[in-house]
Amino acid sequence: MSFNWLKTAFVGSVAAIALAGNAYADTVRVTVAEYSSKTGPYFEKVASEFEAANPGSDIQIEVVPWDVLQQKLTTDISGGANADLAIIGTRWLIDYVQQGVAAPLDEYMNDEFKGRFIETFLSPSVMDGKTYGLPIAASARAMYYNKELFEKAGITQPPANWDELKAAAQKIKALGGDVYGFGLQGKEIETDVYFYYAFWSQGGNLIDKDGTSGLDSEAAYKAAELYKSLIDEGLTEPGVTSLNREDVQNLFKQGRVGMMITAPFLAAQIKEEAPNLKYGVAAIPAGPNGDRGTYGVTDSIIMFENSQNKETAWKFLDYLFTTDKREEFTAGEGFLPVNKEEATRPVFAENADLKAFTDLLPNARFAPVIPGWEEIAAVTSNAIQKIYLGQGEIKPTLDAAAAEIDGIIAKNK
Amino acid sequence: MNRSFLTNPYVLVAPGFFLAAFIILWPLLQLGQISLSEVNRFGQLKGFAGLENYVAVFTDPQFLSALARTGIWTFGIVAGTIILSVPVALVLNEDFYGRGLARIIVMLPWAVSLTMTAIVWRWALNGESGMLNSALRGLGLIDQNVQWLAQAATAFPVQIVIGILVSIPFTVTIFLGGLSSIPDDLYEAAKLEGASNWQMFSRITLPLLGPFLNIAVVMNTINVFNSFPIIWATTQGGPANSTDILVTYLYKLGFNFGKLGEASALSLMMFALLLLFTIIYVRLAMRGERA
Repeated sequence: MSFNWLKTAFVGSVAAIALAGNAYADTVRVTVAEYSSKTGPYFEKVASEFEAANPGSDIQIEVVPWDVLQQKLTTDISGGANADLAIIGTRWLIDYVQQGVAAPLDEYMNDEFKGRFIETFLSPSVMDGKTYGLPIAASARAMYYNKELFEKAGITQPPANWDELKAAAQKIKALGGDVYGFGLQGKEIETDVYFYYAFWSQGGNLIDKDGTSGLDSEAAYKAAELYKSLIDEGLTEPGVTSLNREDVQNLFKQGRVGMMITAPFLAAQIKEEAPNLKYGVAAIPAGPNGDRGTYGVTDSIIMFENSQNKETAWKFLDYLFTTDKREEFTAGEGFLPVNKEEATRPVFAENADLKAFTDLLPNARFAPVIPGWEEIAAVTSNAIQKIYLGQGEIKPTLDAAAAEIDGIIAKNK
Repeated sequence: MNRSFLTNPYVLVAPGFFLAAFIILWPLLQLGQISLSEVNRFGQLKGFAGLENYVAVFTDPQFLSALARTGIWTFGIVAGTIILSVPVALVLNEDFYGRGLARIIVMLPWAVSLTMTAIVWRWALNGESGMLNSALRGLGLIDQNVQWLAQAATAFPVQIVIGILVSIPFTVTIFLGGLSSIPDDLYEAAKLEGASNWQMFSRITLPLLGPFLNIAVVMNTINVFNSFPIIWATTQGGPANSTDILVTYLYKLGFNFGKLGEASALSLMMFALLLLFTIIYVRLAMRGERA
């Protein structure tokens, strides 16, 4: 392993030197995350259109799978071989800003440009009053439910709160067969997020006002109790800690799960892989006081401070964020529109599934902008996995996790 | 004798030495430097940190449990592989119809990338739609699906078994080489004296296979100790870090959490540990041979 990093770093820098040798004035390299098989072709197409409109410019697109994006960017930056523009998870942005890696974009942005964006999605990329990234992809979460199972079990309405969800799950379980009421994710990325849905609806906050973890709160205990009771009463699929998001989605596509919470892209996948599945999309269930929260995620495209071609890079960004280009990308990938004008296009405005997501946006919460968030999320995931497995009592496990998180927060201050 | 400067042994060795130094020593130096520095998540050095990174790794409870688990992981796979590979090699060394084909079948998995194998296993181990559960159900061995990867108690043993299966081809190859170096007349002589098969195995085959056993142990240990794909593809060290070994823990430290200083310190410690083990083992094995 240890050698591999350095090897990558070394090969990377050699490649960069080679590239720099050929480069002429207007070369802009763009590192792009591969969301689907459509991502690469889309950016290649936009790049060649841009080059045709701007003679002398050369846009080089590097498509990188999501799983290794952070690793690739880290190695590139440490070797000084990073591109001019890159897509990153907005939750990583604070590290890039603190270390002076990302360039502020305000000097290029005029009011017309700023006005293109839906405020909710632009604001996570703004830090200390400066805009460091533009939301290239946006997503939120809502609850999918299987209409056929609901009908069979005699449930008429998607559950509005968690009590109703539990009752619905019991009815679906009573149908017998290999069907499960509520699909609960317990593995890999976003395991913590799946817990937050219940946590937020209990009125919880990830980071309390005093800047410490909110996991040692009544809301967290109650949310964990709820999920644990769903597991213990057989209302979820068995072995939740062996199913990641895709595994639960697959069960849903097979019609074996009554309800699950996930992103808009599941609808796009169902259309292609299980076109006969009858499903609906509803709001995430509310808590006893009507609180509810969906997880909002954006990915940002950033400009690097050490870019030699900021002007051209900006022009390319400007072009990427025109309404037509945005519509093509967002609709193709199954994301939520980030431009106001884009959102009014029929593809989005007349899509009932998407409406469930956009309706939840006022309740959208984003990953807290604090350094070390990835580690905090991992600590949270570990704690709730222990609870799901019955390897730890709810209160002590969550309290210990909260203490560990407070330590991480204090250390990064 | 008057030697030409160009045939001086040090000069002759120099190109190889510099190549090795460039590939091995230079990265080690770099790692050493990073591990003693304060470093941000992009690998940019921000000042001297002394032994802080080492202390941080040592005081992390995850480190100790991953270390212990790495011991079980390495020992389990290496021992299992050796124990299974010897009989396989013995069988493949016999002359029988279709031996060539049998050898190819045993070697074939070697040609598949380890990550691919691990991903296929992940599918096979899927609790709801995995091949393993449906096979076991078909055989009537279980009547309820086992969620293999849901908890360490089932996940980690299964991972070790996968590790053994993928290590067998290489180990069998070493042993086959060893077996073919044992002269047949030894067995003929033993047979004339009325030795049983077991006597021939324990008095002739095993002792003469000794050096090859040692090679297999050392090479497999080095391989397995640092083996990342099986665990990463099946559980990513989870649930709740309960299947983490040092390499997966290292990956999380370095790339998920961006603690490159601690990751460098850990990888140097792992290097030292592996080096130490290899030296001790080779010493012990050599002493055994001399006696």
